[in-house]
Amino acid sequence: MPGKSAKKRSELSNKERMALSFQEMPLIAPEERIKNFEEVPIGYSLEEAITEAKRCIQCKKPDCVDGCPVGIDIPAFIKLIENGDMAEAAKKIREKNFLPAACGRVCPQDKQCQAVCVVGKKKEPVGIGNLERYAADYERQHNTLELPEIPPSTGKRIAIVGAGPAGLTCAYELCIRGHEVVVFEAFHRAGGVLVYGIPRFRLPMDIIDEDIEFLEKIGVKFVYNMIIGKILSLDDLLEQEGFDAVFVASGAGLPKMLDIPGVNANGVYSANEYLTRIYLMQADKFPEYSTPLYQGKKVAVIGAGNTAMDVLRTAKRLGAETTCYYRRSRDEAPARTEELEHAEQEFLNWHWLANPVEFIVDEDNFVKQIRCEKMELSDPDTSGRRKPLPTGKFFTEDVDTVVLSLGCDVNPMIPATDKGVKTNKWGIIIVDEENCQTTKRGVFAGGDAITGGATVILAMGQAKTAAQAIDQYVRN
Amino acid sequence: MQKIIDTIINKLKSEDEELISLALDEVEQLSDITDDDKIALASTLTLLFYRDHVGMSEMISLANRAEKQITRFGSVVIPFLIDELVNADAESCAHLGRAIAVNGADAIAPLLDVWNKKRADQYALINLTQALAYFRIPEVLQTLPEILGAAESDNYQLSSNAINAMGKLVARLDSNLFDEVLRQQMFDISFARLCDSRSLVRMQAARTLGKLMEKGLLTNTQKERLRTAYRAIVGQDGCNDWDDAYIVRHEAKCYLPLLKTTPTSVAHYQQSFKIISKRALCPDTFHYVIEAPLIARKLQAGQFIIIRPHELSERIPLSICGWDRDEGQIEVVIMSAGKTTIQMNEMEVGDCFKDIVGPLGERSHVRHYRGTCVVIGGGFGTGAIIPTARDLKALGSRVIGVVGARSKDLLIMIDELEAACDEVILTTNDGSAGIQGFVTHALEQIIKDEKRVSHVLAIGPVPMMQAVCELTRPIGIETMVSLNALMVDGTGMCGACRVSIDGKTKFACFHGPDFDGHKVDFDQLTKRQKMFVAEEKQALEIL
Ligand SMILES: Cc1cc2nc3c(=O)[nH]c(=O)nc-3n(C[C@H](O)[C@H](O)[C@H](O)COP(=O)(O)OP(=O)(O)OC[C@H]3O[C@@H](n4cnc5c(N)ncnc54)[C@H](O)[C@@H]3O)c2cc1C
Ligand SMILES: Cc1cc2nc3c(=O)[nH]c(=O)nc-3n(C[C@H](O)[C@H](O)[C@H](O)COP(=O)(O)OP(=O)(O)OC[C@H]3O[C@@H](n4cnc5c(N)ncnc54)[C@H](O)[C@@H]3O)c2cc1C
Ligand code: SF4
Ligand code: FES
Repeated sequence: MPGKSAKKRSELSNKERMALSFQEMPLIAPEERIKNFEEVPIGYSLEEAITEAKRCIQCKKPDCVDGCPVGIDIPAFIKLIENGDMAEAAKKIREKNFLPAACGRVCPQDKQCQAVCVVGKKKEPVGIGNLERYAADYERQHNTLELPEIPPSTGKRIAIVGAGPAGLTCAYELCIRGHEVVVFEAFHRAGGVLVYGIPRFRLPMDIIDEDIEFLEKIGVKFVYNMIIGKILSLDDLLEQEGFDAVFVASGAGLPKMLDIPGVNANGVYSANEYLTRIYLMQADKFPEYSTPLYQGKKVAVIGAGNTAMDVLRTAKRLGAETTCYYRRSRDEAPARTEELEHAEQEFLNWHWLANPVEFIVDEDNFVKQIRCEKMELSDPDTSGRRKPLPTGKFFTEDVDTVVLSLGCDVNPMIPATDKGVKTNKWGIIIVDEENCQTTKRGVFAGGDAITGGATVILAMGQAKTAAQAIDQYVRN
Repeated sequence: MQKIIDTIINKLKSEDEELISLALDEVEQLSDITDDDKIALASTLTLLFYRDHVGMSEMISLANRAEKQITRFGSVVIPFLIDELVNADAESCAHLGRAIAVNGADAIAPLLDVWNKKRADQYALINLTQALAYFRIPEVLQTLPEILGAAESDNYQLSSNAINAMGKLVARLDSNLFDEVLRQQMFDISFARLCDSRSLVRMQAARTLGKLMEKGLLTNTQKERLRTAYRAIVGQDGCNDWDDAYIVRHEAKCYLPLLKTTPTSVAHYQQSFKIISKRALCPDTFHYVIEAPLIARKLQAGQFIIIRPHELSERIPLSICGWDRDEGQIEVVIMSAGKTTIQMNEMEVGDCFKDIVGPLGERSHVRHYRGTCVVIGGGFGTGAIIPTARDLKALGSRVIGVVGARSKDLLIMIDELEAACDEVILTTNDGSAGIQGFVTHALEQIIKDEKRVSHVLAIGPVPMMQAVCELTRPIGIETMVSLNALMVDGTGMCGACRVSIDGKTKFACFHGPDFDGHKVDFDQLTKRQKMFVAEEKQALEIL
């Protein structure tokens, strides 16, 4: 009897819930997946999703919600999944986060909601990210997404600079408040890092395309090939083009380079260049697509953050023998745990505690070797961090491609072209944290532009704060 | 019959409002009036327009009724009415004007006739322009040139009447009747009057511009200018320097919201990137004019653009060799170097490029130099030096252009360069034109001949730029070069375009493309340009 079983389900005791074991996310086998760009995690089955949902003990005061930068009502959506009401679960998430399919895949839950989940104190925490992804995918596959009711136009116009997660979120939030929103994007495609950085095997392209389509349907306008600062200045937008406010979400696009000999050798790329060539310009399909990529047989990746993992796994998929060089140890690697684990399954080489000091080139300036100094970790200093210390011992290895994944500084275009927008000494755009207002009237900013390279969800959180402030600003 | 007419006329002349009213009733009853009688009646009826209506409240409606009767008489009375109009006072001018205008097309020729005769009589013209404002027929557009002329008059009443008439016609007639030229003229003339010293003229100008906008006769750029002007008038532009006349502010305030709520449609930002013209300069090298109004508006000498010609292609950086801000067009020279540039050179007039971004990079280093400036171009660089040469010359420097090529038929863009420089010197390796040898030979000669050379700009193949720098380094002549490093995004986010300047890494697309040539590591640049030689060959093979 279905009624009875439903009742029984809701009557699970905490003890019974705690007894259930964590549902591992099924993955494509490493041997298989390194041959192509298919998405690696397959996603939960219905059964797995419901079982995992049952593991949530539905805390009265859920810590996970506080752990979520946009405050998704996590127990509520998990309960809906437990009850089999997937469409409603997705709707619940969308109340706070309009990019659930992307966030379910790329958010560092291990440092956010799942890190504080009560269940995690004794066992593996509830797989919140996996469940978020499940609900979002259900919605996509079954077309249950409903367009939100858009209030009558307020007649106010807002310009958004940059179509990354921050820009898209702000566009959405302002659109559903009845404002007219135009997004200006420098590239020919919307999505920001989601399309030119994060690989397809972690975040399939069609997910972002669907999100953009959704925004277009509710009335957000996109204009491509528009570098704000060059083709139109902030003043142009505010004074000539009739915008009442501007939201700057131009991201962290300035790659950090090493200052060592050989850094400008042929075959030495920034992660941005490497990933942009492949994912935005589709160099992996060269020569059908014309953008070339000089892809060697031995690829060295410097760094161990999310970006480094993405480059390592991309290079592997393009057939190279791939090695990671990082000056600290594995424990300090800044990548998401899951990313690091997935990478470790993919037959890569790891040189922990290795600090590159030179890229050795041949007579044509092509990189041939990498020379590193071995490092050791200091005892924790007063700040509790263990610093890498040089040992005076060196080693050299053959390589023919090097990708520097050392993070990015803030995109300098906007502050460089508008003196009213002030930055701190690291080039980060200064804002009032309460409302994301910059030092220029009518101009707000959010995302990586005000933090330096961070995460999708933080960018979205700031965009929401900014949207609220912009809404108030233009109404007054 | 004559008697009836006479009595009516007498009654009309009386001081008694009731009698006049009766007489007007009688005029209305009349039929089959002779032309002479019509004129006689009209001349009596027009007298009513001049009557002082102070203390005679009925007078206003009587004058209106008189006007209505006159319009029944048709075109025979027009010459008389126009004669009357020329000297009329303000009150009667309105009645007469309306009465004439109702007769429509027939009135146009006589009006123009009188206009020609009275051209020197500003008072007459003031009244004529007022009358023209009442017309509702397309034929009145024949008089528009006169109206436009009058709008520029120094007489403020004439000018404000004319601008008003323009606005009225715009509001009443179909927008299609106004062609591009007329639209532009009406906008320019009215816009110029926004800063007239008389508030009446400013007010009429602000109103007429508003009507032009309402009828959709303005381009987006014109709308933007108007919006900026209105904002200045009402003091919304942050300068706190608003128009001191309430009537002007009032007009601006009325129309400003319309400009705002007609949101610039996104189409305004969509550029077609259509090829407007294509011209072969020499084998495998073509000059293109491309539609890209937003880019054209912002371009400055030394900047470049990136074209992605179609969905599958890479992004190709190209220098700009000219632009036309009004036409919204940009000019580039494309040399077939490999797969993508060959594909681009197969495109024809009418084809559109998929994407173009720009303007990219910083403006060239230009200022006034006491000594001579030498701009040196090789290959596509010959086009690229033209805008900078023009700027240098405009700032008062003496500019000599030098162009080098292997032989005569590979010399390109010479006429355009000559227009931008004081002098142009050609060099060819085989001596088929100009000096035999390299651009450096010409430069040596110039350094010898000129009193002083202060500045050199070289754009072209790397070996050429390097040779120029080697020549100028020992003698300390400031030398700028434009570095064509390989690029991907062109906005400073990938680092593909890294160059070493004085030992420091810079991004050519963002910090450049122009750099101090004496500090450039050319060897590295040359080698980095060869990064993809193998891949480029492969790409060509499948083409
Ligand atoms: C390889 C890689 C992997 C990552 N993996 C993760 C992950 O797993 N999880 C996670 O949470 N985060 C990850 N991040 C970080 C995350 O992607 C960023 O924090 C996030 O995208 C920031 O969003 P944003 O909107 O601020 O900027 P961006 O996504 O950088 O978007 C900025 C947009 O603005 C455009 N733009 C820039 N300047 C202009 C201008 N002048 N005019 C017009 N448009 C302009 C750019 O073209 C771009 O589209 C990763 C980053 C990288 C590079
Ligand atoms: C700032 C800048 C301005 C430029 N201006 C112009 C211009 O006005 N007109 C014009 O025709 N070209 C210009 N170029 C060069 C042009 O971008 C290249 O010729 C083009 O990218 C080659 O692409 P392809 O696919 O056709 O050839 P590929 O197959 O990529 O290359 C074919 C050959 O061209 C060489 N090449 C490739 N890229 C460059 C480059 N950036 N500079 C010099 N040689 C290169 C390669 O080494 C190779 O030998 C400019 C480049 C830059 C960076
Ligand atoms: S903290 Fe964990 S157990 Fe508690 S509500 Fe959130 S997900 Fe469920
Ligand atoms: S082309 Fe990418 S940084 Fe210059």
